[in-house]
Amino acid sequence: MLEIRNLHASVEGKEILRGVNLTIGDGEVHVLMGPNGSGKSTLSHVLVGNPKYEVTEGSITFNGKDLLSLSPEDRAHEGIFMSFQAPIEIPGVSMTNFMRAALNAKRKYFGQEPIGAGEFLKLLKEKRQLVGLDAHFMSRGVNEGFSGGERKRNEIFQMAVLQPLFSILDETDSGLDVDALRIVAEGFNMLRTPQTSAMVITHYQRMLDYLKPDFVHVLVKGRVVKEGDASLGYAIEERGFDWIREEVEE
Amino acid sequence: MSSLQQYLDLYAAQGETLCGASCGAMNAAREAALAGLQQHGLPTSRNERYKYTDVEAALAPDYGLNLRRTLPAVDPYKEYRCAVPHLSTSLYFVVNDVPYTVQTPTAPLPEGVLVQPLSQADPALVAAYYNREAGRKYDGVTALNTLLAQDGLLVYLPAGTVLSNPIQIVNVAAARADLMVNRRLLIVAEEGAQGVILLCEHADGQSRTLATQVTEIFVGEGANIQVNAVEETTEQHTALDNVYVHQAAASHVSYNGVTLTCGQTRHRLDFRLDGKGADMVARGVVVADGQQRVDNSLVVDHAAPSCTSDMLYKYVLDGHSVGAFAGLVLVEKGAQKSLSQQTNANICAAPTARAFSQPMLEIYADDVKCNHGSTIGKLDESALFYMRQRGIPEREARLILQQAFVGDVLRHIELERLRERLAHLVEMRFRGELSACAGCKMCR
Ligand SMILES: Nc1ncnc2c1ncn2[C@@H]1O[C@H](COP(=O)(O)OP(=O)(O)O)[C@@H](O)[C@H]1O
Ligand SMILES: [Mg+2]
Repeated sequence: MLEIRNLHASVEGKEILRGVNLTIGDGEVHVLMGPNGSGKSTLSHVLVGNPKYEVTEGSITFNGKDLLSLSPEDRAHEGIFMSFQAPIEIPGVSMTNFMRAALNAKRKYFGQEPIGAGEFLKLLKEKRQLVGLDAHFMSRGVNEGFSGGERKRNEIFQMAVLQPLFSILDETDSGLDVDALRIVAEGFNMLRTPQTSAMVITHYQRMLDYLKPDFVHVLVKGRVVKEGDASLGYAIEERGFDWIREEVEE
Repeated sequence: MSSLQQYLDLYAAQGETLCGASCGAMNAAREAALAGLQQHGLPTSRNERYKYTDVEAALAPDYGLNLRRTLPAVDPYKEYRCAVPHLSTSLYFVVNDVPYTVQTPTAPLPEGVLVQPLSQADPALVAAYYNREAGRKYDGVTALNTLLAQDGLLVYLPAGTVLSNPIQIVNVAAARADLMVNRRLLIVAEEGAQGVILLCEHADGQSRTLATQVTEIFVGEGANIQVNAVEETTEQHTALDNVYVHQAAASHVSYNGVTLTCGQTRHRLDFRLDGKGADMVARGVVVADGQQRVDNSLVVDHAAPSCTSDMLYKYVLDGHSVGAFAGLVLVEKGAQKSLSQQTNANICAAPTARAFSQPMLEIYADDVKCNHGSTIGKLDESALFYMRQRGIPEREARLILQQAFVGDVLRHIELERLRERLAHLVEMRFRGELSACAGCKMCR
């Protein structure tokens, strides 16, 4: 599904990613871990084409397409979704209108008619219930006055509506209480299919329990320095990153 | 030589013809206006309130005047289609600066309510109000208008009357040669009267037109007046528009000004809160691009205690357009318990667009609560990216964000049909599908 080769990227002239290699196959869930500031969010933003981040070297192939040549909106249409670490507030643009615009843009990309009003409302309701968001959130501005937990649920709700092939969850679990974490993780699991893949950035063992990732990668200073299965995730949860840093230095 | 001279010369030569078409109150005010112009001339950029509008340049072209009061052959009641569907109004036209009286409108007015040309109205009624507020302090544009205006409309709401339908006044500037029009509007709402007034500005864009317009609104005790002014003129049109509002105790005025398309526009809005507990709201939306210039200059004078003022103006400026906002809240000595809020926010959608924002306070009382704020910025880049990540194309995302930005002002418009229609027109405007009035044959 996704192949990242020797990716270098910088933000505001500072090189953050320094040669990332990562391959994600269909139906796989990968967990990305790493100390704060190691470049996890940067990698996520580069994958979705945030213009603030400049790719200086390397390539990304997504289902055979050269991802770096696509606009952010076309990447979204091709099936890439990012749950933002810090979801953005858009006052005055209702959730309903926001989702309708997003959904219809995708349909247009695939040559389909805009979604009918009834079908759309049914879809919203079904997906809302999946993550336990009340109806009144739909008439509010996007993330306007949402609590931290509500914003994270809202990200998974949007993912559920847009049904991406590849999802990036950037610390969607942080700041959530136990119940909210369960709702988000179970919601995510329900959306999984043998065709969909994900890259999940997390620090929590509880999330590993829910997700049962196929692979765990550790990013340090802009490079993937260690890879393994879920047990690597538990080891980090228990022992932190220092032992990996030491290994790398040796 | 000042641009003013050609108008003074014209008055010297044609004064008699000009006065012949007017009522006594209008003619009685000319002498003082002439003296003022001779002494003070036109405002220059040194005048705080005209910093961003070059009146000399605006008046420089050799405009003709419609001294003989001819009306074009069109019947506006047949040709004009209101851009607001399903809004039932009592409809009046002023074609150039001539009130159209050939036919009367369909929706009847409540008992006692008058909408008449000043030249045909009760002279005592006109004399009691005409130029009373506009003439208090010298303003070169108001003086020029007072000198040259030949007629105008009176809207009179006797004490206690309630309008069932809005009164809609459509001003159309339509001319085959460069034309200056000088309009007056006098709105008198006596104690407890209530009504909504819709003012629509149009221009056919065939030649250059300049409209000076002086509006005086007298709002009696406890009266409630809502004015919605919508501007859909062309790049060929210059508007020098001065509005003076006098409010008695416990009266309420809300004024919504929306500039959708224009050439160069300057609005001076002066509110005098002259009785305890008077309350005013002024809101504005400006959408400009190309070479358009829009300048709103407001003064709210808290002359009595316990009055409230609230201003919210939002501009979206693209291309090489220039937008200016100046607001002054003046709290006079003794105007205790004044409450005031003033907000101006601007988005420059292009780096070539320019915004000037100057909210000001002048306070001579101690027990008051006045806030003001202003911002000039670009669209929120992180919101834009968030939307694009969800698949919304950049152009569409910009449009949605701009609409939300001005929607924050439009949502306050109480007339539902108008609110919806304006939201639609603003959307068309942002899509680049509206370069002049979307209406009808009147502006074609
Ligand atoms: N938009 C940005 N502007 C400036 N610096 C940034 C920006 N985004 C990330 N950085 C910097 O890049 C480095 C990596 O940050 P980030 O990718 O957020 O790390 P992580 O998600 O692994 O904690 C940090 O030093 C951070 O300060
Ligand atoms: Mg991060």
